[in-house]
Amino acid sequence: MKDKFGGFLQRLSTMLKVDARRMFTMPTVYIMLGISLALPVLILVMTSFMGGANPETGEAVETFTNVWQAIGSAGGTMRMDLTSMCNINLLYFLVAIFVCLFVGEDFQSGYVKNLFTVRSKKLDYVLSKTIVLFVAAVGMFLLYFVGAMIGGGIAGLSFDVAAVGASAGGIIACMISKVFFALVFVSIALTLATVGKARLWLSILGSLAAGMLLFTMIPMMTPLDSGAFNVVLCVFGGLLFAAGLGAVSNVILNKTSLV
Amino acid sequence: MNAIEIRNLTKTFGEKRAVDGLSMTVPEGAIYGFIGENGSGKSTTEKLICGLIQPSGGEIKLWGKDFREQTVRAQIGVLIEAPGCFPNYTVWNNMKLQAANLGIGNEDEEIRRVLRLVRMEGAAGNKFKNCSLGMKQRIGIAFALLGNPRLLVLDEPINGLDADGMRIMREILLDLSHRGTTVLISSHILGELEKIATHYGILRGGKMLREMTASELDADCPTYVALKTAHMAQTAEILRRAFGRADLDEQTGEIRTAGATAEQIAGYLYANFGIPVTEIRTAKIGLEEYYIGLMREERR
Repeated sequence: MKDKFGGFLQRLSTMLKVDARRMFTMPTVYIMLGISLALPVLILVMTSFMGGANPETGEAVETFTNVWQAIGSAGGTMRMDLTSMCNINLLYFLVAIFVCLFVGEDFQSGYVKNLFTVRSKKLDYVLSKTIVLFVAAVGMFLLYFVGAMIGGGIAGLSFDVAAVGASAGGIIACMISKVFFALVFVSIALTLATVGKARLWLSILGSLAAGMLLFTMIPMMTPLDSGAFNVVLCVFGGLLFAAGLGAVSNVILNKTSLV
Repeated sequence: MNAIEIRNLTKTFGEKRAVDGLSMTVPEGAIYGFIGENGSGKSTTEKLICGLIQPSGGEIKLWGKDFREQTVRAQIGVLIEAPGCFPNYTVWNNMKLQAANLGIGNEDEEIRRVLRLVRMEGAAGNKFKNCSLGMKQRIGIAFALLGNPRLLVLDEPINGLDADGMRIMREILLDLSHRGTTVLISSHILGELEKIATHYGILRGGKMLREMTASELDADCPTYVALKTAHMAQTAEILRRAFGRADLDEQTGEIRTAGATAEQIAGYLYANFGIPVTEIRTAKIGLEEYYIGLMREERR
């Protein structure tokens, strides 16, 4: 027993095994992944039926004409239109909700009693959750990307990269930036989930509120024409948030009652 | 060596002192019956030992080491309140998670072993939420037994168990104790606890009221004579005058007295007052009565 729990890496590895197992046996994960895939298909196909006009008022509405609009916009500007509000950035909210559900279930079910009785180091828990949930977030973003391609194809949208002021490299950099920016949301939601514990409503509400505050920042940090600077900024920012808020979560778990 | 040593442990929740300067010692291999009224601090103490809540003061040592040490903590099995299982997972999947958490090598074999121990092999495929209360408690015990812990902390583990479940639980705990596992068990079912405990700790208001071994308790529990006659009130009065004490037990309908043997009392009543005894027996007060008496004294 001593050997299994001796070193940090051994402890982290067993914790990761627990979380990975939970991830693959939890229906919510598959539901979230399914939503991530289906959401862009639905958005792109449904909006294509609108034909650029509000069906009730007949007013002109700016809808998707190019598939890459579902990923973002060049220049990093955020407009209050359909293409800016209903793109991949919606996933950040889904990621935050998923983090709260995943962590909240540990507390609601009482599973934390089993976990923390045999684990004195809460950092293992925080680190493992951050890694596993970040991996899930990556999966969600990749599936959204695939869904956008499928939806764009069904809706007959243009795939012309240049038409939206971007390049293939810019889009790849944009996706990498977006994925690492998700680490910011994962860290915030994880910290709020450790505060809320079994009170799932509290952590979800808090995470959504924090998401709203950050929502306008996302297009600026991860434009469709991203470059190396955006990638570095998002990777660095994501890791900084994960480390900082991870430390906060660790303190919260160490100082507060777990049951 | 002592498995648990607690000195001046305190836990406050706001203004309330749930545990108030508690000191206790649990020798290795003991089955320590943790007794007290609701709110006396039993569960809080158990949660403190397991590191689920943080103490406000005092010291907890497990096998002579600080309770926060990882190597020490890895040797605890726990069932506090309800088993910590995911309701939508099967029993098997829940146990696989805990086996992974404990870093157990041969997981499947170990899970089968503990499920067999609590006679729950057949429930492995059931969703945890579909199990009955008794099944859940047994599964909770199986959870706690995973990885052969040196210390078991059980909070009300026999609640919701049927007679057979209680017997199984008793057998398991006695067997574990014989093999050197220390068990800290809290329960309100004192009759059942009395059958297995080797040590007792009685809590009141977050303080240790009395700590004793089973043989010390036995020595502290007096014998008495219980009897019935056709004239209960008159008999009680006569015995009270003769032996100083005679109480009418409303539950059993018997008069309880002490100070003479059953034969002497029966002879005294018939010879001096012509009262024939219809039923008479000699008995010893048990843990439950000892505890109730102690609490009554404390309230005074």
